[in-house]
Amino acid sequence: MAVSEQPPGPGVAGWLSDKLFNNYIWRSIFRSGYPNTPRNQMLVVATNVFLHLHPTRLHKTHVRITHTYCLGGLTFFFFLVLTVTGVMLMFYYVPAADRAFQDVAALETNIRFGMLMRNLHRWMAHGMVISVFLHMMRVFYTGSYKPPREFNWLVGVILLTLTLALSFTGYLLPWDQLSIWAVTVGMNMAGTVPVMGEQSRFILLGGFEVGDAALIRFYTLHVIGLPLLAAIFMAVHFWRIRRDGGLARPL
Amino acid sequence: MAVDARAVSSTPAATRPRRERDQELLVWPDLVFIEFIAATVFLLLFVILSTLLDAPLLNQANLDITPNPSKAAWYLVALQELLLHMHPALGGVIAPTFALIIIGAFPYVDRSNEGQGAWFSTENAIKITLFSAAFASILTVALILYDQGRHVNVVTSIAQEFDKDWRWPGKLSAFQNVRAIQTGWEWSIPVPESAQLGPGEHDGELNWPDDFTHVPMPFNGTSGPDWMRWGPPSFLPGWLQALYWYDLNMNTPAFVVELFIPVAVMVTLPVIMILMLMRLGWVKNIRDGSIGIFTGMMTVYFILTIIGAGFRGAGQDLVLPWDVPHID
Repeated sequence: MAVSEQPPGPGVAGWLSDKLFNNYIWRSIFRSGYPNTPRNQMLVVATNVFLHLHPTRLHKTHVRITHTYCLGGLTFFFFLVLTVTGVMLMFYYVPAADRAFQDVAALETNIRFGMLMRNLHRWMAHGMVISVFLHMMRVFYTGSYKPPREFNWLVGVILLTLTLALSFTGYLLPWDQLSIWAVTVGMNMAGTVPVMGEQSRFILLGGFEVGDAALIRFYTLHVIGLPLLAAIFMAVHFWRIRRDGGLARPL
Repeated sequence: MAVDARAVSSTPAATRPRRERDQELLVWPDLVFIEFIAATVFLLLFVILSTLLDAPLLNQANLDITPNPSKAAWYLVALQELLLHMHPALGGVIAPTFALIIIGAFPYVDRSNEGQGAWFSTENAIKITLFSAAFASILTVALILYDQGRHVNVVTSIAQEFDKDWRWPGKLSAFQNVRAIQTGWEWSIPVPESAQLGPGEHDGELNWPDDFTHVPMPFNGTSGPDWMRWGPPSFLPGWLQALYWYDLNMNTPAFVVELFIPVAVMVTLPVIMILMLMRLGWVKNIRDGSIGIFTGMMTVYFILTIIGAGFRGAGQDLVLPWDVPHID
């Protein structure tokens, strides 16, 4: 496909960049040349699976920070970092009532950077809840839910509840007094669902009180069930931004 | 067969004239770099925060030791706060579900595509936002001060500063808090004895709340006059008979306190707010109304979160933030 036709620039830097970015291996990976010409800059976005969430060009109002405050993008970034730190925490964590607390406590004492990972995971989880709320408010007050973006707003509301559910299921995992009682309070709310409250509470907890069964359910939902669901809805959310004409701006 | 590829894209977006090339920027580098910088800055901030501040870890979970207060995660504290003031199913499930449905419904109610992509685009948007935020926060705080919990009351506390034995006069006790309507407020109206059918005393007067706690619902099988005494519908299979509200009596005082008044408040206040905004001439279209409702809902959530997290001490009593017990 597209290969940089750029002649090498003068001097050592030009020679070096030519050797680095115009060789057979680089081209086999990236197809386009180093993005220092408009053509390559568009190609790098269009041919890269991660960057092609973006269009190749956008309206100049959209890069104004005050237009979006990067809130949606930051939320997604937090999700990615939470996935990475979460995977690291999973190496040391066994979701069993008699082990979970010791495993989390050991992060602080026995595992190098364990506490940093746990702190990052926890604070960023709070950060993600906050940024989701702020993102929703940004979209609302800029009127960006208006046609043709109605459905994407709805997907966003679903993502908000998924974020809260992710945070809530993660809350139980340290298995300390804070987690078990916060979840007990939350589950008692679930128990008041009209008609099938007791049943839904029982299904979520796997029993009548927060115990081993609840821990493994919350863990499974937290590390795989809800993230998968969130990823699917995020894919729809991002895809629909492109499909519905990019970010909203005045007609 | 040739199919127009544009046929699948929705029409409103297509009505916009094609933008000029000179208004365009390239995503690489103009957007990608901003994203990279934002991501780096926030990653750094969180790494710094994480080295300075450790995530809490209390004692190992133990269901035999209940911390007082035990609180939900901060984003659910608002719901926990609602539970103090109304029926748990209403505060914990029904009201938040309706809130989410209302939020999701905004684009389907506010269908005009004008004024999108710009902050507070309608003429009075900022005024409406400020007004509804103020309206919602003042009324939420006022309602919580009125119905602040099971044990405390602002008026009682103030009055007892001057007179230790001060008690609410019986006739006014309903104003103590919403629960007092059910428990601390007694009145009666005379009725013919023959009209008294309930299980309470047949003494020729209807007493609130005692005579209203077992109001037989129609066809509940056990109480009320004969024509109301229907058995469970025997023609239905057993599991459906179980759904039949056999033996249902309504606890009217509890219904009024836990369901009727909260629902009335949650429906009436937003309506009053919108009517006031319309009277002011600020609300001119559905978008303006949506801004008011959305702002009100966000504000209530925010205020409830602050009060639930920062002002609820042992027994969920209303206390000042420095009196909230530290749990470990």
